[in-house]
Amino acid sequence: MTTTSQPVGSGIASTAVAPVAAPRPEAREDGRRPRWQRILFVVALVAAAVIFMLPFVWLVSASLRPREYVFAPGFLPTPFAPDNYAEAWQAMPLLTWLFNSVVVGVAAAAAATLSSAWVAFGFAYFRFPGRNLLFGLVLATMMLPFAVTMIPTYLIWNRLGLVDTQVPLWAGNLFGSAFYIFLLRQFFLSLPREYFEAARVDGASYPQLFWKLAFPLIRPALLVAFVFEFKASWTDLIKPLIYLRNEQLYTLPRGLKVILDRFGYGGEQQWEIVLAGSVIATVPMIILFFLAQRHFVEGIATTGRKG
Amino acid sequence: MSRRLRATALAGVLTLALSGCGGVGGGGDSGGGDSKGSGALSTMGFGLSDEIAKTRVDAFKKDHPDVRLNITEGAFDEQQFLSAVASGNPPDLVYMDRKLIGTYAKRGSIQPLTDCVEKQQIDLGQYRQAAKDQVTLDGTVYGIPEFSQVRVLYLNEALLKQAGLTADDVNLADWASLPAVNTKLAKVSGGRLSRIGIDPKIPEFLPMWAKANGAEMISADGAKANLTDPKVVEALTTGVKLIQDQGGWGRFKSFRDTFDFFGAQNPLAKNQIAAWPMEEWFLNQAAKNSPKAELVVKPFVDRQGKPLTMSSGQAWVVTKGAKNPDAACAFVKQMTATDTWFAAAKARAEARKAANLPFTGVWTGNTAADKKIFDELYQPTGNKRFDDAVATIREAQDAAFAMPASPAGAEFDKAWTDAVNRVLSGQAQPAEALARAQQEATAALDKAAG
Amino acid sequence: MATTVTPPVPGRRRRTPLARREARWAYVFLAPWIVGFLVFTAGPMVASLWLSFTEYDVINAPRWTGLDNYRQLVADPQVARSLGNTVYYTALHVPLVMLISLGLALLLKRVGRWQGFFRTVFYLPVMTPAVAVGILFLLLLNTQDGLINRGLALLGIDGPSWTTDPGWVMPGIVLMSLWSLGSTVIIYLAALQNVPRDLYEAADLDGAGAWARFRHVTLPMISGSLFFTLIVNTIASLQMFTEVYTMYFGNRQTQGSFNSDAASFYVIHLFQEAFQFLHMGFASAMAWLLFLIILIITAVQVKLSNRFVYYEGEDR
Repeated sequence: MTTTSQPVGSGIASTAVAPVAAPRPEAREDGRRPRWQRILFVVALVAAAVIFMLPFVWLVSASLRPREYVFAPGFLPTPFAPDNYAEAWQAMPLLTWLFNSVVVGVAAAAAATLSSAWVAFGFAYFRFPGRNLLFGLVLATMMLPFAVTMIPTYLIWNRLGLVDTQVPLWAGNLFGSAFYIFLLRQFFLSLPREYFEAARVDGASYPQLFWKLAFPLIRPALLVAFVFEFKASWTDLIKPLIYLRNEQLYTLPRGLKVILDRFGYGGEQQWEIVLAGSVIATVPMIILFFLAQRHFVEGIATTGRKG
Repeated sequence: MSRRLRATALAGVLTLALSGCGGVGGGGDSGGGDSKGSGALSTMGFGLSDEIAKTRVDAFKKDHPDVRLNITEGAFDEQQFLSAVASGNPPDLVYMDRKLIGTYAKRGSIQPLTDCVEKQQIDLGQYRQAAKDQVTLDGTVYGIPEFSQVRVLYLNEALLKQAGLTADDVNLADWASLPAVNTKLAKVSGGRLSRIGIDPKIPEFLPMWAKANGAEMISADGAKANLTDPKVVEALTTGVKLIQDQGGWGRFKSFRDTFDFFGAQNPLAKNQIAAWPMEEWFLNQAAKNSPKAELVVKPFVDRQGKPLTMSSGQAWVVTKGAKNPDAACAFVKQMTATDTWFAAAKARAEARKAANLPFTGVWTGNTAADKKIFDELYQPTGNKRFDDAVATIREAQDAAFAMPASPAGAEFDKAWTDAVNRVLSGQAQPAEALARAQQEATAALDKAAG
Repeated sequence: MATTVTPPVPGRRRRTPLARREARWAYVFLAPWIVGFLVFTAGPMVASLWLSFTEYDVINAPRWTGLDNYRQLVADPQVARSLGNTVYYTALHVPLVMLISLGLALLLKRVGRWQGFFRTVFYLPVMTPAVAVGILFLLLLNTQDGLINRGLALLGIDGPSWTTDPGWVMPGIVLMSLWSLGSTVIIYLAALQNVPRDLYEAADLDGAGAWARFRHVTLPMISGSLFFTLIVNTIASLQMFTEVYTMYFGNRQTQGSFNSDAASFYVIHLFQEAFQFLHMGFASAMAWLLFLIILIITAVQVKLSNRFVYYEGEDR
């Protein structure tokens, strides 16, 4: 089924280390295109980018305006009211929440990534009775609405005495998460089996296959899973809402709900404060993504790349 | 269902690694012995957002140094609450909207306060009747009311003058006259609404309009819905017409959604609205932000012209399974006691004075507290408009009714608000929408009773 | 480590010791998931399945009511309405997300130095917490003063009442959902960059035009990603909750002031039944129905796409 027969491992390794080594095919392709096409392309891209940016620009701008100008036309924060941020910052322990979000996010992402990779390798590599059935079950759990298991799951954590701690926010990920098992299995499947067979013949054990061969090969994909799960944890509201009561333990979205309750609907409809809180909750993710994105996107791209 | 089956019911199926019965309530073993209370005390749904809250909590802490108070801030959230109840580890106290109490009381997730009232010698007579109605189900008190919110009619006299009208021309007793007044006051141009004439505030205030028309939307025991009453239909039709005449619900609502009722650029200051019923707290905001506005406050009235208002607010409840009911009870008593309210109002008055702003009172569910606040603390502001308004609101407090506690209060609310929204968005006619709501509400009420 | 060498025994069953060893190891790898599945999925699922045959309000012990909940489920117009809304949303959301994302990814693929910047632009909304997205769009969709209708007015269009007109509430929600399609873009972009260049060169030698190259090289090569996003987006949109809940149902004060028919999603209705009305048994039945619906839809999708999806390196 494979179209090219060049060994894959070396190719992946090299591209993962030096992802920009190869000349860009697109540049050459573009050279052939007519000028009007290239202009059209730039216009389309910039237009799309502008449309996607506008809500966010508005969000930032409105968060910097006094309340009565929140709905004013235009994108400039005039009059300029940076004290919205000071007010949000003073009213709420945002720094604590930020720190909590980072801790919980890293724990959740690391747990999900490692355990899912381990399980995904089991599904991708081995043939055993009941494999398809079990994998079907994995997929099925992905489709399970959270509402089905919410209350019983709460009772379990409660019985373990871990309610009102941050443990339930991430510890469930230690058992693998269907989404990433599915995703990482796809990546493992794209590695040629002969490569592992060869290592087996050389006497590698199965855990060695996983740690020494498979794991490094899909490291970029693991980063993808890590970032996805970190993002999921960063934006999740439901779990913190159910499990946390002590305000000092809150994560940012839970804190945002407090801000919303106090300044938004239930309070005084001071949308500018709520918007300022929203910006504060979003910016760290943007920075993280901007820093990690090359590895992140290359991660999806490089895995399984043929030489 | 047999006791044994009950005990194993939930637990049996879901506990794999766990044993015993989870979930089912958990009987409260009362900690802390003396009536002053000690030990840990946790609350949910309450926030220390202003001096009124802080002063009262500080007073409790000072008088009860042995109680470790743990306040989880943030608005009441039923998911959070129920998760806690299901675990058998609920907070001791919950601060919730009074209209929710019926449902939780019926289900047994909150405790009757009969013992508490007796032990702490809480004088129930001091609380407002309307507020008490909301926390009483089948004759048993389940909550202690806090603030008392009432609705009055606000008028922007400057706009009335512009339209050649006076405050008396906006006559809520004469429903037939309202559309004409409304059209004169509203400003719609080019499909854009830039000034609201009369805002009927529906769905929220439909029960008040219905009551003004002589109809109760739900029976006093909260068990029977009465939504198909022609008087309710008439109230809804009247309200909907006022909105339709101002460019339709879409424009009306989106315009109102942009209002900043709490700022210097409030709709009164910006002349965005001419006549609107609203909660009493807007007066505080107006006094603070628009002291020069030509505001007139009149009571909301029934069709005979008699003052009438709908009361609402929050209440403290003690959960079933509360670990420290004694301290909880002591807390509730102190939070709503006359002296505590007075101290809080004093703190507010001083804060206002320091900021050079007028103090327009605090309205609580405790009549004795209100009396003390207005007798001893309140000073006329010197602005006749605001002083008259304060007097009007004080009178309105005594003309208040409340939607009674109902075992299916949440479903009942949803049924009629859905109906109003269907009419507003043009999906159904008033009679038809209310008939459907009646069905939905009746089904829910019957189920809750059964 | 040496593989166990066992002399082949003729006539014995086909399962070799190696295969048995492999199976044993397979379960070692699967163990975390199996434990997690039993404790955090299967157990709670059985519990909630059982609850779906009872009347349960969390506070009092469940009371067995047989099929009552399911009967009520079929008869309840609000369930039908919310399910209809959810399916309608999914039918709009998923194809639009896939189409637009593919378009954006194709554009992005050709960007040189600025790709990082543009990727961030398209991914930025995804990182905005759902609560914030809900609030933001509620304000943006304001009929008179919202950014969206202001923009439409510039084009001479009188924008609809996004939040109050029952016919426009769902399109408004779809609009919001499209803002957050960044993950799909990234996945497609990665897949596109993963298509071997020599395939395009071969197509060029055959004299294929742009469309033919796209149809016969690009599409098959990214079919795995298309399939993946189809499934994931479908499942996610059938469970739409937080953003819409924040917009239209998040608070009791505002809950009553929107048309809950038009904005009612299945999971939101379920949530209300469970946590506002305390009908946990009924809500459990609703959850199970949703589970079955998702299961069926996904099974159909898997069946269909087995024909179209191409995995490199998959040999079984």
